[in-house]
Amino acid sequence: MPKIILKNILSKKSNTEALTLLLIEQMKAHISITDEKNNYLCGNTELVTQYEHPVKLHEEIIGWVKGDEKAVHIASLLALLVQKEFDRKNLGSEVLVLYQEVNMVFNFSDKLAQAIDPVAIAQIAVDEARHLINSVSGVVVLWDETTGQLQIPATSGSDLFNKEKLISYADLLLKIGLSGQSEIMSDLTPLKETGIIGDEVQSIIYAALKVKHRIMGAIILAGDKTMQYTASHLKFLTTLALQSSSAIESALLYEKNIREALEREEAMRRIYEVTAKFVPYEFIGSLGYKLITDVKLGDQVEKVVTVLFTDIRDYTSISEQMTPEENFQFVSSYNERMGPIIRNHHGFINQYLGDAIMALFPESAERSLAAAIEMQQDLREFNVLQKTKNLPSIRMGIGMHTGPLVMGITGDNDRLDATTISDAVNTASRIESLTKYYKANILLSEVTLQQIQHPENFHLRYLGKVQVKGKQSSIGIYECFGSDSEEQIDKKEKTLLIFNEGMHHYLNKSFANAIKSFESVTDVNAEDRTAQFFLDNSVRHLQKGVPESWSGVVEMSNK
Amino acid sequence: MEQKILIVDDEPHIRMLIEQTLEELEDEGVEFLTAENGEIAFDIIQQESPQLVFLDVMMPKMNGMEVCRKVKKELMLDDVFIVLLTAKGQELDRQKGHEVGADIYMTKPFDPEAILSKAREVLGLQ
Repeated sequence: MPKIILKNILSKKSNTEALTLLLIEQMKAHISITDEKNNYLCGNTELVTQYEHPVKLHEEIIGWVKGDEKAVHIASLLALLVQKEFDRKNLGSEVLVLYQEVNMVFNFSDKLAQAIDPVAIAQIAVDEARHLINSVSGVVVLWDETTGQLQIPATSGSDLFNKEKLISYADLLLKIGLSGQSEIMSDLTPLKETGIIGDEVQSIIYAALKVKHRIMGAIILAGDKTMQYTASHLKFLTTLALQSSSAIESALLYEKNIREALEREEAMRRIYEVTAKFVPYEFIGSLGYKLITDVKLGDQVEKVVTVLFTDIRDYTSISEQMTPEENFQFVSSYNERMGPIIRNHHGFINQYLGDAIMALFPESAERSLAAAIEMQQDLREFNVLQKTKNLPSIRMGIGMHTGPLVMGITGDNDRLDATTISDAVNTASRIESLTKYYKANILLSEVTLQQIQHPENFHLRYLGKVQVKGKQSSIGIYECFGSDSEEQIDKKEKTLLIFNEGMHHYLNKSFANAIKSFESVTDVNAEDRTAQFFLDNSVRHLQKGVPESWSGVVEMSNK
Repeated sequence: MEQKILIVDDEPHIRMLIEQTLEELEDEGVEFLTAENGEIAFDIIQQESPQLVFLDVMMPKMNGMEVCRKVKKELMLDDVFIVLLTAKGQELDRQKGHEVGADIYMTKPFDPEAILSKAREVLGLQ
């Protein structure tokens, strides 16, 4: 109730009631106006009064007009002004309350708009509601449709709600009211009996969170005084709940969209990952693409690369002793060891061909040779494992050649394949098959050797020239014994000069001298099977003789 | 000296709301003056020298910025505390408000409690 003070009315300057005040001013000599406690306000102080007329507002005396009987009219006029001022203030305070509410809702929406995460929104909602509706404790419950359970994304104030119980008594909550309405709860007994709320709680008010007719949950506030909440609180909470509902709904939708987008992205990533295993990324990258989806039929690129071929020796006879399943297991475990070595040296596997591997090293020949050495060393460890499993140990030949190579996408519109077309591939493959012939582990062509900047790091021996079938020119072949045991490397390095002498005599058909040289090699190192090979050849050529045109060039025909 | 607050806004309900907000000060003897445009406001400031002015920015006939500039920069009335009222979303006006010498800015919709406590602070009433 606004309080009206007579003094304030009389002192108004810019007033629509100026006329009335003017009249009072005119009458001043004949009247005296005092407040309810007879404190003088205006008029004639000397006046001897006959009458005292009260100025009333709703039967309450707020002042007096003293004078003759006519002064009663002044009192009535004043009473009118008082009533008018009262009405004005009354209206004003009502409007102010509404304005404050609008202001609060405005600020509330403002805060909500700054959050996109449903939990943050629930927190803002319950914090603000608790603050604006002056409550000791508040909680937001949400119904999770996917799990079919209640969730509590946010609480505020003191801990008067038992969260576990709140969630587990969902049925009860629905029964006693949380079914989409908003209300001030009259009977708290069921909530207290189940332990959902503490004994301190005296009042509960809640409003449903709903979008259209779908109920999402509720904002619940608890007070520690009885009859704490009024209808206007309920109206206000309902407004806040309405605002929060749409904000939470949008946030949940947003979250769902993000989640789905991430899932799609993840699915795509997995597809890429798997396809990258079928077609190496380097292959696609060489074609100038980032994604395999960009690749099209007919794309191609030419590059100088080192091609590395590996093959398991006598695999056919080994595999005959195994079931197809064991075969598969065996090849898989072998490939699983070799693949990473190749990748570590920046090579990529172009193809697995059963027990053979074809890998490309676009970066450098050194990388390729380093990989070859590591693969041979790793094979020794593999064989130790094979032995413990009572499985046969294996040997592998590695051949390398460097040359231009076309990588491209061939096939037809419905079936594409990443293919390499190159002479270097053939040559590398044939060089690999020569490892059996020369009893060497790793062989490389002179073309590859020329690409290696520091051949002295690799323990190499020249083994003469070979001619690829159907080709005019021949190429020099080198053995790399860098993957041998340290003892072998040592011995081969010590006998390297004599070995080279032997090769020189051999290629010059000076077989007797060659025999001497190779014998002194095998004398030092009986395990040098390559020296033994040339020794045997020299002996045979010395006994049987060679044609005039013999130049020591080996024709690569097998394969 | 009698304390006076001038409330300037072209919208009558805003004037009434501010008056209502500050009602308790009236009971403590503070006189309220109101003006519905910048020209009237400027005249009242000159005649009555209120200690505190709540001044809306957007008004017909001399806007709040202009009133503020004339009071602070021309009349050099430093002891008139001017609160500029800007609509939410027009916070850019703040820089300009600073330039014309406004003491503080409040946004509409205003927070009644903030207005009342600011008035008490400026008038030295506890």
